[in-house]
Amino acid sequence: MASILEIRHVSKSFPGVKALDDVSISLAAGSVHALLGENGAGKSTLIKIITGVQAPDAGEVLFDGASMRFSKPREAGACGIGVVHQERNLVMRFSVAENIMLDRLGAHSLSRVDHTAIADEAVRWLKMLDLDIDPGTPVSRLSVAQMQLVEIGKALSLRSRVLLLDEPTASLTPNESAALFAIIRKLKADGVAILFVSHKLEEVFGICDTVTVLRDGRNVCDSVPLAGLNRQDVVKMMIGRAEQLARRAPRSKPAASPLLELRGYSSDAGHRDVNLTVRPGEIVGLYGLVGAGRSELAKSVLGLSRQTGGEVLLNGQAVHITSVASALHHHGIGYVSEDRKGEGLILLHSVLDNAGITIWQRLASRFGLLHDATVAREVGPVIAKLEVKTPSLQQTIGNLSGGNQQKVSVAKWIAAGVKLLIIDEPSVGIDIKTKAYLHDLIHELAGRGTAILLITSDMPEMVDVADRILVMDRFRIKGEVENDRVYERVSQAIMTFIHDRKAA
Amino acid sequence: MTTAASDSATTPEPGAAEVPRPSVTLQVLLSNEFGLAALIAVAVVIFATSLPGFTSPFSLFTLSRQIGIDTMIGLAMMAVIVTGGLDLSVGAIGACAAMFFGFGLEQLGLPLPVAIVFALLLGAGLGAINGITVVRSGVHSFIITLASMSIFFGVMIYLTQAKGFNGLPPGVAAFGRMKLVGPVSVLLVTTLAVCAGLLVLYRFTALGRQMLSAGANARAAELSGIEVGRTLIFCHALTGALAALAGLMLTARTGAAVPSMAGHLGQDWLLPAFLAPVLGGTLLTGGRVSVIGTLLGATFVTVITSGLLLMRVSEFWVQAFLGLMLLAAVLIDKARHTLLRRRGMI
Repeated sequence: MASILEIRHVSKSFPGVKALDDVSISLAAGSVHALLGENGAGKSTLIKIITGVQAPDAGEVLFDGASMRFSKPREAGACGIGVVHQERNLVMRFSVAENIMLDRLGAHSLSRVDHTAIADEAVRWLKMLDLDIDPGTPVSRLSVAQMQLVEIGKALSLRSRVLLLDEPTASLTPNESAALFAIIRKLKADGVAILFVSHKLEEVFGICDTVTVLRDGRNVCDSVPLAGLNRQDVVKMMIGRAEQLARRAPRSKPAASPLLELRGYSSDAGHRDVNLTVRPGEIVGLYGLVGAGRSELAKSVLGLSRQTGGEVLLNGQAVHITSVASALHHHGIGYVSEDRKGEGLILLHSVLDNAGITIWQRLASRFGLLHDATVAREVGPVIAKLEVKTPSLQQTIGNLSGGNQQKVSVAKWIAAGVKLLIIDEPSVGIDIKTKAYLHDLIHELAGRGTAILLITSDMPEMVDVADRILVMDRFRIKGEVENDRVYERVSQAIMTFIHDRKAA
Repeated sequence: MTTAASDSATTPEPGAAEVPRPSVTLQVLLSNEFGLAALIAVAVVIFATSLPGFTSPFSLFTLSRQIGIDTMIGLAMMAVIVTGGLDLSVGAIGACAAMFFGFGLEQLGLPLPVAIVFALLLGAGLGAINGITVVRSGVHSFIITLASMSIFFGVMIYLTQAKGFNGLPPGVAAFGRMKLVGPVSVLLVTTLAVCAGLLVLYRFTALGRQMLSAGANARAAELSGIEVGRTLIFCHALTGALAALAGLMLTARTGAAVPSMAGHLGQDWLLPAFLAPVLGGTLLTGGRVSVIGTLLGATFVTVITSGLLLMRVSEFWVQAFLGLMLLAAVLIDKARHTLLRRRGMI
């Protein structure tokens, strides 16, 4: 197969580090190419070079055999290279059609916008993606999955012959992902070259034809067929050693009386009649599709939305929690947010401040005095134990990699010694090694008696980590699945509860 | 204590190492504080050699007094910029507190220390009103304090009938003339003491850390167990108290409390209030302060202003020049912000 886009021996340095060192990759028409590597391996730098955001120091970019030098993302777009970034890049208040046609709304800045023509053009692309929505709908009313498809539509409408998808399924449910894959296969049949970046190997093996693996800015392999490889081979290439596939045995049931119990709980976030118990030492999973109300339930229990009915019991005592501060300081409840950068960490501040924020109040002297050394004495061992890679505790946390940031956002609750830890999507955007580490850590915490409520949309993660799984749909608990680690059975049982909605 | 953390410094992760880490010396040289100190030194050398009156004891005394007052005004604004907000009513609060101080001394016959404490409490109270309104309404502090500036000032003018208090005890004016260590005004020494207090607050207290976290990312701070609303109200109250102190210092300088001491609605304070912290490297988006930077920023502005005035540059040109300087400082702040964003810290 002829390659449309070829990257040859590209290197790129930033002060202090070589992000890419002699990297090559070649994308063929009508094939799906997986780009794999841990965080910091150089994937994003490579994407930036392909899309013209950054220029390579050495090497060349060949498009249709001709050497190109993109200096702006627009130039790459004009050539037919479309990209869908991990973050959404849509104008929320604009319509679907306006978003798809955003840079072609009129011949020039002051010309009248022909809404009919734009809608017609947009519908063409929506149809191609089997997306049955009115082009006049504001994007803000779409689901996350629909927004993703609109972005793909936008990229395709530029007549893209190369489509880069950066972690397209990060915020999609299994069903939505399956629908996306069907579209990817269709595009492939139409001759589009697709570069697929993902941390989820199941997906990679499901739809990709060839694979390029980067490690520490170098090619471990360059555009080899995926057919001859198995999961272990790929993981080995990514992390430099074989993955420890130690399937955990189901844990024995803790007998202690429940630490947290919700009885007929309702909230003004929309929850109705929620019953839930978490015992000390138990890992309770809360599974559901995006928008099922899981994070909202966690935040409601923390006092961020009002309880409108039912009871919350901690150690058998009815309590009324009105703020996160009281949830932490009086009741020992912690929450690891799914939105690490927005809600979990203060990126501007140091590792020490981020890890110590939960214990300042406890450590401060009678006059409110608090010395860095005092905080470091408490936080240092936890940071060290979690193997957070940082030059010092004073390092600004925004400079650390995603995996290390996530470790710190867990570390602060360990330092606070919480009795109940609610963990929301622990492995979004972090590498395999850290993910496995966090799973071990959750088990270790539970082993020491911490009650864990785990929220995740990652089914393998849920099956691997939780003791039992509650299924939530539309702000209600639909049922409970005992987790015996048999993936097929457990995932089937979960999906049955969710698809039960038509019958109900 | 942090062995593993420092061990790993030898094997930096590729992802983490993408950011260049300048050496400590370079960081110091690139810092705002160093830049300002150098600029001040250059300005002082130029003025001292070209303007004969610049280094006279009287000139140095007035210079130090003005630095003391302008720094205090800048610190007042800095305390609220920490939250990513601002307070347009600093001048109005300062004037209100000064007038209340005069009223307490002259009409109520309060002892001096009691009058000072009451005036500072009034300032803190007015600031707290701003803070409570901002937190409860969720409206940006710009609008809230624009409104409260007019309200505070208007009520003060109504209550005082726009008449000043000229019969203050002689101790007040004497304090304004007092020198410590050569020609240095006691007002500057007061300001330095407050600077020291604020340094301790932001660096060595739980409250100060809470203020910085709530300012940098209110949502994350709240989800980490910080009582963000209460913390933000504290910040506004601190601003009010510092503005009141600046008002009292100004009263000591003039020896009388007059409603127009900070201009109509207290607007004369706004330029120095923003110039000092922004020049000094306090991030307008919140979460990072520099007390020393604010002191140096105010010093720089005062030195330039008095130098220009000694050169008989017209007051209007000086105003225009200060406006330009604020614009430059804001652009530098923006560049700094972009740099932080590029490094993924915001």
